[in-house]
Amino acid sequence: MLNFRLISISMSMLMRLTRRQFMATTSALAFAGELFSSPKDSRAPSPDLERLGAVGLAEARKYHATYCDVRIVRLRNQQIALRLSPDRDTGKTLAVPNVSESTSFGFGVRVIVNGAWGFASSPLVTKEEIARVTAEAVIIAKANASIQPSPVQLCPVKTYRDRWDTPHEKDPFAVEVAEKLELLQSAAEEVKKNNKVFGSVAALNVRSEDKYFASTEGSSIQQLILQIYGNLDATAVDRKAGISRSRSYVPTNASAGWEYVPQMNFGENAQRIREEVVEHLSAPPVTAGKKDLILMPNHLMLTIHESVAHPTELDRALGYEANYAGTSYITMDKVGKRIASRNCTFIGDRTSPKALGTVGYDDDGVKTSQFTIIEEGIFRNYQTTREQAHMVGDKESHGCSQADSWATVPFQRMPNVWLRPGPQETTLEDLIAGIDDGVLIDGRGSYSIDQQRYNFQFGGDAFWEIKGGKKGKMISSVAYQARTPDFWQACDGIAGPAYWQQYGTTGDAKGEPTQINSISHGCSPSRFRQVNVLVTD
Amino acid sequence: MFTSDQAQQLAQKVAKLSTFPECQVTVTSSEQAYTRFANNGITTAALGLRQNVTIAVTRDSRTGVYSVDELDDASLRKAVLKAEELAAISPANPEHLPPLGSQEYKKTPSFDEATAKARAPEMIPHVKTIIDVATKQNLVAAGLIERTTRVTAVANKAGLFGFDQSADSQLTTTIRMRDGSSSGWAGQPSVKLSGIDSAKLAATASEKCLRWKNPQRIEPGNYTVVLEPTAAGDLVRLIQSGFSARNTDEGRTFLSKKGGGTLVGEKLFPDYITLRSDPFDPRQTSLPWTTELAPTRSMTWIDKGVVANLAYDRYWASKTGKQPTPGVGGAFFGGDSSLQMEGGDASLEALISSVERGLLITHFWYIRFVNPKTLQQTGLTRDGVFLIENGKITTPVMNLRFLESPVRLLQNTKKLGSAIRVRGLEGGLMIAPALVATDFPLPSISDAV
Repeated sequence: MLNFRLISISMSMLMRLTRRQFMATTSALAFAGELFSSPKDSRAPSPDLERLGAVGLAEARKYHATYCDVRIVRLRNQQIALRLSPDRDTGKTLAVPNVSESTSFGFGVRVIVNGAWGFASSPLVTKEEIARVTAEAVIIAKANASIQPSPVQLCPVKTYRDRWDTPHEKDPFAVEVAEKLELLQSAAEEVKKNNKVFGSVAALNVRSEDKYFASTEGSSIQQLILQIYGNLDATAVDRKAGISRSRSYVPTNASAGWEYVPQMNFGENAQRIREEVVEHLSAPPVTAGKKDLILMPNHLMLTIHESVAHPTELDRALGYEANYAGTSYITMDKVGKRIASRNCTFIGDRTSPKALGTVGYDDDGVKTSQFTIIEEGIFRNYQTTREQAHMVGDKESHGCSQADSWATVPFQRMPNVWLRPGPQETTLEDLIAGIDDGVLIDGRGSYSIDQQRYNFQFGGDAFWEIKGGKKGKMISSVAYQARTPDFWQACDGIAGPAYWQQYGTTGDAKGEPTQINSISHGCSPSRFRQVNVLVTD
Repeated sequence: MFTSDQAQQLAQKVAKLSTFPECQVTVTSSEQAYTRFANNGITTAALGLRQNVTIAVTRDSRTGVYSVDELDDASLRKAVLKAEELAAISPANPEHLPPLGSQEYKKTPSFDEATAKARAPEMIPHVKTIIDVATKQNLVAAGLIERTTRVTAVANKAGLFGFDQSADSQLTTTIRMRDGSSSGWAGQPSVKLSGIDSAKLAATASEKCLRWKNPQRIEPGNYTVVLEPTAAGDLVRLIQSGFSARNTDEGRTFLSKKGGGTLVGEKLFPDYITLRSDPFDPRQTSLPWTTELAPTRSMTWIDKGVVANLAYDRYWASKTGKQPTPGVGGAFFGGDSSLQMEGGDASLEALISSVERGLLITHFWYIRFVNPKTLQQTGLTRDGVFLIENGKITTPVMNLRFLESPVRLLQNTKKLGSAIRVRGLEGGLMIAPALVATDFPLPSISDAV
C-alpha cells in the first residue's frame, strides 16, 4: 500500500504542472526538435534538413569525392524503472524509482575519395561545422587511400526523396511519465504479492530516432523510428539452501507507438512469473545427456540470432570482422548447400511490421525489402550493403547498412531474420507428444557462441521436463550445447502459423569501435532431436 | 574538448539553473580517433567528437535525470526544466541520501598529451607495420588502432566540483592464414600511444598463426591450463560482481554464507592470490571519484587469499554501519578498469615448462554468466591453443568451450607470471598476470578457427 500512496502523490504533483509548462519543455531542445518537425502528412523531408545536408554534399564535391552522404540524427531515450525490494531492517517493501531521459543530436559525413572511405562527425549541427567536418572526412579518406588494396565499389541505387515513419497512432514520448510509472508499479506489485518473492523490477524504455539522410546519388530521406521495450523481473532467494533464482517476462519489444503497450500484457504475465519464480527456486536440476528440445519463440529467437543471422553476414564471411566479432562457418562455397533441415526457411526482412530492425531505408539510402537467406535448409543469400553486393556478384544491396548513431560509421548489420512457421495444422502439443525424454525451454538465459558460429551453449529463463509426450514439472540448471549445422539439421518439427511470434533483442554488438543494434526474430515453437543437455551450477 | 575552466564554468552554471535544492551535473566531452583494418587494407577510419551534460535534480527525495548534448543556453535551460518535471512526477526514492559537499579529488596520473591529440598520421604507421609483416608471410591481418580522449567534470549545488582528463589507446590485431586455417592474436592497451609496440604485436600474432596451423582434436575434459595474461584477465575481472555488499547480505553472491552472513575474513584462495583496485596506478585510466562522487582510493578485495572487503555504496553503508567504499561495479564485463591482480615473477616460458600436461590459452571469447550467484561462466578459447607436454609446447589443438567460475579458477591457481595491463575482446580492462591453474573444465570442442 505504501507504494500506491507514492504514486498517488506523484500524480497530484503532475497535475500541479500546467499543460503549458509541460509542452514548453517537451517540444523543446530548441533546434533539433524544430528541425525534424514538418507537416505530419508531408512525404518530403524538412527543407531545413535538406539545406544542411546540401552543404556537406557540395563541400565533398569540391574535394572531388566520388561519393558523400550526410546523416543528421536525433536520438531520444526515456527510461523508467521501479525496483521493489525489502528494507534491510524492517523487511517492509521499498519502491525505488529511476526516471531518466536523454537526447543526442549531431551529424556524420561519409566520403569516398581516391577509392577510400573517410568519416567524421560532430554534435554541432551548423552549416559551418558540416563544411568543416566534411573536409576532415576527406583528409581521413586520403590518408586511408595510402593502404587500400582495391577501391571501394558501390552497387547502383535508386534515388528517393521521401519521408518514412514507424507506423504509429500515439507518440510514446507524449504519454505522461505518471501513466508509465503507474503501469510499472502495478506490474511490480503484482509480482511481489507472494511473500516468497524477494524482489521485483519493472522497466519501460521508449526510444526514438529522427534521421535525415542525403547523398550525392541524389537521395534525400527523412525517417522517424520508434521503439518500445519493457521487462519485468522476479527474484527469489532460499538463504538456507544458498540458492537465488529468477524469472523474467520480456514482452515482444517492438517498433511501434504507445497504442501497442496494452498488448505487452504486463498484468497477466506478472501473476505468472510470480508463481514461476517460486517454483523455479525449488525446481530440481536437469539430468545431463542427449535430449529432445522444444524451444519457445521467446527463447529460439536468440538461437536464430546467434546461429543463423550472424553467420550469414557477408562482412564476417569475408574476414572484415576477423579481429572482433569473428568470421563465419558459412563460407562463400556454402551458397547452394544444405546447412539446415528441409523444415527451415529463414527470411531477412527489414519491412516486417513492428520488428525492431524495420525501417524505410537503410543508411546507404537503399529501400528496405525481404530476401531469402536459407530456403528449405539450403543457404541462398548473405546480408549485404551497397559496398558488398559486387563481392557476391549481386547488382543490388539487401539494404543492411546501419550506424547506431550520428557519430558512428554505417556498416553491415543484420536485418530482422525470421523462421517460416510449420504446416498450418501442427500444434505445440503435437510437437511435445512426439518426445519421450526432453526439455521445453522458455525465455532468454545465458548464451555464448564461438567466433565462427559453430559451437554454442544456451541457457534459458525457465525449463520444463517432457516425459512420455507430456509437459511435466519445472526443472532447473539447464543449458544445451550444439554444433550449429548439426543443430539445425536436427530440427524436425515447427508449429504452425498460429504459434508464430516475433521477439526483439536490443544489445547486439558488432564492429570496432563496437556498435549496438536492435532487431527482431520471429518463429514458432520448434523441436530439435537429441541435443547435448548440460547441468549448470 | 573542454578545458578544466570551461568544464567547471559549464557545470556550475547548469547546477545553478535549477530551482531544486539538489542538482548534480556531469559534463563529458570525448574525442575518438581510430583506424580499422582487415584483409591487409584500411576499411574504416574516423574522428569523432561527443559531448554531453547530464543533470540530476532532486526535491523531497524525488529525482529526475535528463541528459543532453546540445549545450547552448536555451537547450540547457530546457534540459534543467525537463529534469525538474521528471523529478516532480517520480515517486520519492526511499534510499535517497543527501548530496556530498565539497570534496578533494586527487589528480589521476596517466594523462599523456601526445596520445590525447594523436590522429591518423600517428596511427597509420602502426597499421602499415602489421600489414607488412602479414603480407610478407602471405598472411592476412585485421585489427584496430584507437585512442580516446575524455574530459569529465562534476558539480553540484552543495559545492562539489571535480575535473578529470584522460587519454587511452589500444592496438589489437588478428592475423590469419589466407585459407582461414589458422588465426593468431595480439593486443596491447596503453595510456601512451608511443608505448604501443606494433612490431612486437605483429610478430606475436603472426607467429601464433603460423604455429597454430592444423589444430588437432583433443578429448574434452578437465585440463591444467596456462592462461596468458589476457585470458587470465578475461575471467578474473568477472569476480567483481560477487563483492557487492548488498547482494552478499541479501544471500545472492558467492560470498553469502549459507543461512546468513558473509564470508569476509575467510581464506577462500591460496596465499599468493591478492586482488585490489588502484585508481591511481599510472599504467591505467580511472576517474578520481566513485559513481557516488566520493573520492576514490585503492582497495584490497582479496588479501593473500583472504576475502578482505565488500563494496558498500553510501546507502548500504548507512544501513549496516560501515564506511562506503569505492564500488566494484559493472557486473557484466567487469566495470572497474582499475582492478589488478598481483603477479609473480615467473616468465610465461617458466610457467609452460612447469606443466607436465596441459594447455596454453591465448585468450577467450563470448564469455557469459551462466549463474550470477556462483559466477559460473561459459565462453571459448580463441586464436591459439596449444598442448603442453613435459614442459614444452608440442601440438596446436582445436578451440574448446569452458564452463568455470573465476572463484574456482583462483582457488585452483598454482603459479603466477608477471602482471601486465590487458584488455579483453569485449572491452574489459585490468592488470593481470599469466597463471597456471589445474582442473579447468573444457567440456566441448569447437570447429571454429
